[in-house]
Amino acid sequence: MPHRLPSENSPDFSIRQRHRRIFGLTREDAIRAFFGGHAVVAVVVLALITLFLFREGIGFFAQQRESFTRYRQSGQELVDLLREQDRAHAALGRELGELRLRMGAAGAAEFADYEERFADAALPLRELAGELGDIALEAKESATAATRLETVAQLVAQYPQIEKTFVELAAEVNTLAAEWGKLTEASPAANLGAGAAPKNGPPARAREMVYAQKRLRAYVAALPVALEEIRSWSATRPVSQWQVVKSFFFGPQWLTASFWQDFYGVVPLFTGSLLVSAIALCLAVPLGLGAAVYVSQIATARERRLIKPVIEFIAAIPSVVLGLFGIVVLGQLLRSLSQVPWLAWVPGFPYAERLNALTAGCLLALIAVPTIFTLAEDALGNVPRAFKEGSCALGASPMQTTWRVIVPSSLSGLCSAVLLGLGRVIGETMVVLLCAGNRIAIPDFTAGLGAAVQPVHTMTGIIAQEMGEVVPGTIHYRALFMVGLLLFLIALALNYTAQRLLARYRLPTL
Amino acid sequence: MTMKAQLMGGGEKSFGRGSAAVERVSENRRAAATNPFSTTADGAASRARRWLERSSVGLLRAATYVVLCCGLAVFGDIALKGSRTVFRAEWPFVNVEFLTQAPESLHVFEYAGESREMGDREFRAFAASERARAVAAEEEGRKGRAAPPAEPLRSQSYVYAAGGIWPCIVGTVLLVTGAMGIALVLGVGAAIFLSEYAREGRALRLIRLSILNLAGVPSIVFGLFGFALFVNFFGWNVSLLAGWCTLAVMVLPVVITAAEEALKAVPRGLREGSLALGATPWQTIRRAVLPCALPGIFTSSILGIARVAGETAPIMFTAAYVVRDKLPWEVERISDFVFQGVMALPYHIYVVATKIPQNEYSSRVQYGTAFVFLGVVGLLALSSLLLRNRFKTSW
Repeated sequence: MPHRLPSENSPDFSIRQRHRRIFGLTREDAIRAFFGGHAVVAVVVLALITLFLFREGIGFFAQQRESFTRYRQSGQELVDLLREQDRAHAALGRELGELRLRMGAAGAAEFADYEERFADAALPLRELAGELGDIALEAKESATAATRLETVAQLVAQYPQIEKTFVELAAEVNTLAAEWGKLTEASPAANLGAGAAPKNGPPARAREMVYAQKRLRAYVAALPVALEEIRSWSATRPVSQWQVVKSFFFGPQWLTASFWQDFYGVVPLFTGSLLVSAIALCLAVPLGLGAAVYVSQIATARERRLIKPVIEFIAAIPSVVLGLFGIVVLGQLLRSLSQVPWLAWVPGFPYAERLNALTAGCLLALIAVPTIFTLAEDALGNVPRAFKEGSCALGASPMQTTWRVIVPSSLSGLCSAVLLGLGRVIGETMVVLLCAGNRIAIPDFTAGLGAAVQPVHTMTGIIAQEMGEVVPGTIHYRALFMVGLLLFLIALALNYTAQRLLARYRLPTL
Repeated sequence: MTMKAQLMGGGEKSFGRGSAAVERVSENRRAAATNPFSTTADGAASRARRWLERSSVGLLRAATYVVLCCGLAVFGDIALKGSRTVFRAEWPFVNVEFLTQAPESLHVFEYAGESREMGDREFRAFAASERARAVAAEEEGRKGRAAPPAEPLRSQSYVYAAGGIWPCIVGTVLLVTGAMGIALVLGVGAAIFLSEYAREGRALRLIRLSILNLAGVPSIVFGLFGFALFVNFFGWNVSLLAGWCTLAVMVLPVVITAAEEALKAVPRGLREGSLALGATPWQTIRRAVLPCALPGIFTSSILGIARVAGETAPIMFTAAYVVRDKLPWEVERISDFVFQGVMALPYHIYVVATKIPQNEYSSRVQYGTAFVFLGVVGLLALSSLLLRNRFKTSW
């Protein structure tokens, strides 16, 4: 069959085609513009994300400033200063009580009496705070700043009363501190420590007793400072912008829908997210990187064909299903594991809360492993063959080659894998919402590693939990957007760093 | 030291061959002892090294299999307990009611000495018939015969524990297809422009970088965005349309990146050959580039579907209802279709896992829903894996 050349009449032969123009555009131009439009829409939509997060979030600061102004003008801030003192007193009292418990039964009676007196010392302060609190709460309800300032004048008139309370408190605690010394000397436990005794126990206790006395003295010394702070407080001083920003980024409490005053401090949520992510990474990094090294360097081809799809399948398990697994199975399992007697040496064990940071962290590790594994395996596979061959030719064993040649030369890839894994974990919502326990508090890091089994709340969790209930436009709504914005920026930073790492330390292609 | 030895060996060569050879062997041995990579030398050090090597292999293998076991344990638990809800021992082997009914409350009560379980509707019908029977019996009794006194049915009810998850399945399918439709049209179009038409430059690099970075943004942030823009700003409320757009935006960076990669993988020669034959750019793209890139785009888009289907956070406050009586197509006007909220599988799992008291009855529906959901998502992921292996082409 003779080969047919495209005839001049063939419509496909474009040189012959007449260029029809629509609005001055040829057909090609129109198609180009069509796809260009797609690209523009996509880019605009993606840019809108940033815009809207900022738009909704940034108003938070103005509104919170207003709220803080009201808080100050109504005198609630003053009352909170008093209450803070009361809380400090109670905390010290609890500490003394714990010390007594550690001392054992010895001297229990005198100490119990002492504790009671210590607690009673702060009663006038508490009563005063309560009275003033009622006045301040009334002032908060009043609409105008003028009426508010009027009530604040009432509060300021109480300054002599406050001063008297503080002086009395100082005197009382001072005598108590002196008595503590006598009590310790008289106490059989402390005597035991001074005299002949088992080597470790009692001397340590005696030291603790002395330390407690020091704490008491320091507390007394700090009282005038607190009083001075209360005296220098002024209802008319404007709330600075910096104070508002600080209250969000460094504020230690996230308190919403409160009758007294709402606080939106991101620290408890941020530390919660961090704690959960740290637990997850502690588990996922060794497992993920180990599996990647194993699959890329040691495993046989058949093993590889088995392992890779399974890990990719793990990546496909929806997070809400993992969360359900955590609620129904894993939480219970870990708790009963913690109550096994011979595991009591593990910090934090045994614990009672079924849902806590550890449960969530374990499940998040399962989410992070596939990400870390896939990227790390890629990075290890990208090391030029010549590196491995050269090392082997020099007489290195396979493991030596792996540890001293392959892993170091793909280190940047491994680091970026871990960073992206962290990004995946920090942004995960459903698992932490279901399993992390949702208690809004900064984890108590004085418990050491035991902090891992405390229930926490996270940045993603708080958005998911509270977004459904807030009224658009309120401070609460905007605070949640600020949290979202913070998450967004963290994710961008992690991603960007990971990419820079990859690009910066890319191996030369051989 | 080795250098020196070699030099010396070289020097000796000219004098006597035999002694040089002996010398060289001993030099070799000494060199081997100082070679940090050497494994030939015997001794305690090398035994320790060998032991270290073997144990590190063992550790790595253990890490790998721990991961596999954890994954399989989760999957196994869900599959084992879920299949008890979804499958039946007798014909038709599948729990048809669970897959085709709407969720309803479960009533558990004692009747004639035995414990019975019934769904809400069935229970009402049963209770009504019981009442009718009681009334009839009473009338009988008035006629003179003694009748058993009718006891009121006292039941314990468990919300969502009966019925099925049909509306959730429908809602999920609708959400996923709509979102993927939007994302594919927008994403593939944008990718074609970016890789075929746009001129390389700083602006393009910046766009690519930001798209790549957006792929790692948490899904809850996309949910927030959707809530602010589509639900509040556009006033669409909690609706299918808002859910589609939110999910589409979430998966858009993934689709664009993947489609662009697939387009980039088509060799230059094909384009140049086509252009050289006199084809216009559009003809080149349609006839030469797209057919080659389609499998890749297809594969990655299925991966995107799996991601869209598996996400809960973005639809929590944009599209999902806790419960809805009507199915999506039971609307008065066609235009209402896109402005209605739907039930969705992942959100239903969240609801039954957290919002209702836990007991044996609720755990049935939890596991059943999770199993069906896992099956759907797993099938999508599996088909993407298979497709990728099938279409793996190298140019």
